[in-house]
Amino acid sequence: MPQTSQTVREVTDDAGRRVTVPLRIDRIISLAPNLTEIVYAIGAGDRLVGDTSYCDYPPAAKTVEKVGDTLHPSIERIVALRPQLVLVSTASQLEVFTHQLETQNIAVFVTDPHDLEGVFRSINQLGGILDHDDQAKQLVDQLRSRTAAVEAAVKTTQPVRVFYQLSAEPLYTAGREAFVTDLIRRAGGLSVTADVSGAWPKYSAESALAARPEAIILPTGGSMGAANSTVAEPLQRSPAVVLGKVYKINDDHLVRPGPRAVDGLEEMARSLHPDVFKL
Amino acid sequence: MLEARDLTIKYGERVAVANVSLTLMPGQISAIIGPNGAGKSTFLQALNGQLEPTSGVVLLDGQPLEKLNRRTIGRRIAVVAQEAELRFPITVLEFVLGGRFAWAASASWGWETERDIEVANTVLHETELSELSGRLMNELSGGERQRAVLARALATEAIILLLDEPTANLDLSHQSTLLALVRGRCDIYGASALVVTHDINLAAQFADNVLLMKDGHTISSGRPEEVLTPGLLRDVFEVIVLVDAHPITGVPRVTTVHETHRQV
Amino acid sequence: MTISESSHGRASTVYKPPHNRTTLRKTVIACGLLSGTLLLVVVLMSLVGSEPLPAGASLCALLSFGRSQCTLTSDQFAILFQIRLPRILLAAAVGGSLATAGASYQALLRNPLAEPYLLGISNGAAVGTMVALVFFGASEWSRPLLAFVGALVATLAVYRLARGRAGATPERLVLAGVIVTTFLSSVIVFVTTLMDATRIRSFTFWLLGDLSGTSKNLLPVAIAIAFVGTVVLTANARSLNLLMLGERDAFDLGVEVGRVRIVVFVVASLLVGSSVAASGSVGYVGLVVPHLARLSLGSDNRLSIPAAALGGSLFVIVADTVARTLIAPRELPVGAITALIGAPLFIYLLKRT
Repeated sequence: MPQTSQTVREVTDDAGRRVTVPLRIDRIISLAPNLTEIVYAIGAGDRLVGDTSYCDYPPAAKTVEKVGDTLHPSIERIVALRPQLVLVSTASQLEVFTHQLETQNIAVFVTDPHDLEGVFRSINQLGGILDHDDQAKQLVDQLRSRTAAVEAAVKTTQPVRVFYQLSAEPLYTAGREAFVTDLIRRAGGLSVTADVSGAWPKYSAESALAARPEAIILPTGGSMGAANSTVAEPLQRSPAVVLGKVYKINDDHLVRPGPRAVDGLEEMARSLHPDVFKL
Repeated sequence: MLEARDLTIKYGERVAVANVSLTLMPGQISAIIGPNGAGKSTFLQALNGQLEPTSGVVLLDGQPLEKLNRRTIGRRIAVVAQEAELRFPITVLEFVLGGRFAWAASASWGWETERDIEVANTVLHETELSELSGRLMNELSGGERQRAVLARALATEAIILLLDEPTANLDLSHQSTLLALVRGRCDIYGASALVVTHDINLAAQFADNVLLMKDGHTISSGRPEEVLTPGLLRDVFEVIVLVDAHPITGVPRVTTVHETHRQV
Repeated sequence: MTISESSHGRASTVYKPPHNRTTLRKTVIACGLLSGTLLLVVVLMSLVGSEPLPAGASLCALLSFGRSQCTLTSDQFAILFQIRLPRILLAAAVGGSLATAGASYQALLRNPLAEPYLLGISNGAAVGTMVALVFFGASEWSRPLLAFVGALVATLAVYRLARGRAGATPERLVLAGVIVTTFLSSVIVFVTTLMDATRIRSFTFWLLGDLSGTSKNLLPVAIAIAFVGTVVLTANARSLNLLMLGERDAFDLGVEVGRVRIVVFVVASLLVGSSVAASGSVGYVGLVVPHLARLSLGSDNRLSIPAAALGGSLFVIVADTVARTLIAPRELPVGAITALIGAPLFIYLLKRT
């Protein structure tokens, strides 16, 4: 069983669970792409012994052994790799899985970032667990200052009415609980579906059109590939399309609650308010 | 006129009917009798094209069946077989009207004509089902259903009737009535009928012509008096029979003799 | 089936036939009433949606066939004529197609439970459409075409599986249908889990239906197929009436059984294929609507097939209206609504007969 160190510490994860982790951790498995990115960003990437098939950033993450996808990773493979800690994101719906890992005496740490603040928190938490507190703090400071810069710049502008199109047919958008809704707000946008319950609701075309969005965000080009690169048919008449304000942004920057979310924030802000970002 | 020449029907290696020939003459009732598995029903099914013979040919008014389309055959040959599958509610009148299908002006679409209704009502009267014409078929008793099947066959106005065990579910009075109806058709309209039956005496009473079959072969064919002899019947049915003459009509009357029968 | 003892004193039945026989006049009247109701429902449901539209102005615009905007804003006009009305028309086409296909399968297979979804034919069409989306994504026409092929293949598979020594008895058919349906459902879930959902839609689309995506080109095709398919199958109604009583009986009475079987299989597959390609599998329509039609109007297919077509359109239009307004502005899959209405109705119908 994975316990290479004598001393341990107790931490509380985002699911409220008290988790006992070794002081010195050398073998980690990440079960979510955003967590993989965070681990690398705080300089602990060399300790990853396993990640998912969707973990493709940074490029080094691709060479790490794969334990399956985010929805159904292989317990056997995870156990065989003898990790000391497994990182789980509720964004990947793995709560059921954590129970199975616990019965194998593998420490599981669950993160659950709903917004950008949650991401900063996750980074600090992981920095603490992996003894990379300084790198984590430095990273968070950088990200915070970039975020603050964006927010300051757009403070003087009118929020732009945004429709976030997750898929065209059928029409899916971002609801209240979606991570990207927070980003849109900070980028000086107002998601027309910000009040809709759920995270990724299937949306009425009529309502999308009636909301008269001034801009449409198309997450595409990252893990999605070429999919979702055109605006849904019913929205072709919207002011956004008529005025040409359709913005394609790398989907990985918008749905992964990790450091690149700030990239996404900046990209959205630049698209929505080009005038205040003359740099 | 329907003529079967040298029909052989095989299922793989198994021979169901072997070189059987039969001609149905207008105005005549023919009967096929024989034990189970003799091939009687199989033979009947080949007569309207339901089954394709392995060899031999069936001629309807001189033309081979394969050359005729189903509607033509349906207008000239009618079949009375075991009860229909009644999974959907259908009234007796609708059921009997089904017999008019072959006479429809177009192959599929179309509605029943005045004539169709007239014919249907006539046959319903003949089969004593007029009162039940508005009922659902599955509300009828087994015997009544059988009469409806006959009514439908009569509604086709076909001059060749093929009947497969038509009296199976009928009580005594209706058995005779049914065959009397068939007899009437033959006498008045010159129809020909073929009846496959287990009831040897019924065959003797009504048929002009009897075909005795066993294991797919024709054992004997001819008038009832010629075919229904103790010797032949014993060979075919493997039971001892007594054949005497019906006291009133004089037709052969067949009774079995078995040691377990009661003695009075 | 109740068997009574004698001509008198019958056991009471649960089903009273609505008439003695179906006539042309009855058919015209019934279909006329249903068509009128359909038209009314189309207009009324156009006034209902997740975005409130002014009723008077909308009615005015509808009655002018879109020529006059009346007092609607251009957005409202677009919602009415470019989003809502096409969706309602698609619902009508899909509902009519599935109900007609169901009614025809039931007559041909002599089985009141024969339904495109239960027999696996919808799933066959779904797999066909998925193949089209994966390999011929760019071509819109490949979808209904391959859906048709998929439906036909599934039909033949079920038919072959069901054919025993005694022919395809209805019991074997249902069993074969269950096998094919569940097998193909697994295939659908398998493929949709592996592949990117944005490319081939999620499995909820395939298994529960969705009328929100209306392609401008394919809607007229779906409507045309629904109409033509219904006409062709109704033209074979008299043969189907006889086939409902048994293949042997039908054959003896002059029906070209083989030809009719081919026509029904091909046309019904076309109907199912075009529906599934456009909107995924909407279940229960082909089961409940023909049942209701036969119960109220009799089993004569010359009336019950067109009545099922019109009734199916009504059913799916109403179900879809519920699906798109119940939790507005979010949407439910229409198949969930048809199942919620259809399943209890079906149980009730089963108990009655």
